Amino acid sequence: MEELTKVWTWSLDVAGFHLVFNATTIVMTLTIMGLLIAFGWFATRQTGLVPNPFQVVAELFVETFWNLTKDALDEDMAKTYFPLICSLFMFLLLCNWIGIFPYMEEPTKDLNTTLGLGLMGFFIAHYAGIKTKGFAAYAKEYFQPVFFMMPLNVIGELAKVISISFRLYGNIMGGSIIILVVSHLVYGLLIPPFLYAFFGLFVGTVQAFVFTMLTLVYISVQVK
Amino acid sequence: MEFSGADLIRAAALLGAGLAMGLGAIGPGVGEGYAAGKACEAIGRRPEEAGLLTRTMLVGQAVSESTGIYSLVVALLLMFVVQ
Repeated sequence: MEELTKVWTWSLDVAGFHLVFNATTIVMTLTIMGLLIAFGWFATRQTGLVPNPFQVVAELFVETFWNLTKDALDEDMAKTYFPLICSLFMFLLLCNWIGIFPYMEEPTKDLNTTLGLGLMGFFIAHYAGIKTKGFAAYAKEYFQPVFFMMPLNVIGELAKVISISFRLYGNIMGGSIIILVVSHLVYGLLIPPFLYAFFGLFVGTVQAFVFTMLTLVYISVQVK
Repeated sequence: MEFSGADLIRAAALLGAGLAMGLGAIGPGVGEGYAAGKACEAIGRRPEEAGLLTRTMLVGQAVSESTGIYSLVVALLLMFVVQ
């Protein structure tokens, strides 16, 4: 059971600060970025009316998320934010699925990854709100419905970041802990593949979709 | 048999982890079951919309699951961080 608390880290002392980097997370994130870039290259290399397999998958992603983005935002804004939404989903899907391979770990098992992505969605949503409505109208929303509700509205906005990032982190981390514990109980026989199928593939897909949809909803709430 | 303060803290943390997970699982369990029941009713009324209903149900369940996930995170913190 010592796999649970073991974390590979790089330590570094810079200008009086003690910096610790989670080596596994960084290496796996870079691996996934490489895989996604390779996927994009293969999908766009020989496009044609008779598509190659990668192009079929890419078209599926693009069409699905283009329709979802178009429904949530209007057409002009959807063109701006669609690449973010689609690539966020593809990145998270690959992050959650890569745990089913031996010696691979999900980067989303680390709170730093999910909190970073949640903060990214938060800042993008508020930037979009300020850009479309102007700063005065944006700031005025915090004083709705009455003046002294402002602290509650600010806390409500900050709680969104916490909730979206802890949801993804808790699901993936809890799933991998359950897989480890049950695998130890049954000596790795018969049960673990089904657990990986459920917690890795099914829950991973649903949570990646939920994270993407919530980021999209936060953007659309801000621009309305 | 002697108990030190650290033992007591460890025992309380483990007990708290179990309580947090067990009590925190009630709400999402009830909520997700209710959502699934309503989705079953809706599919029974309009079977041709089954795909859309299932997708909406899954997303709603994943969102309402988050309170249970918070208690899981708290339980993990109690187990592995409080020593």
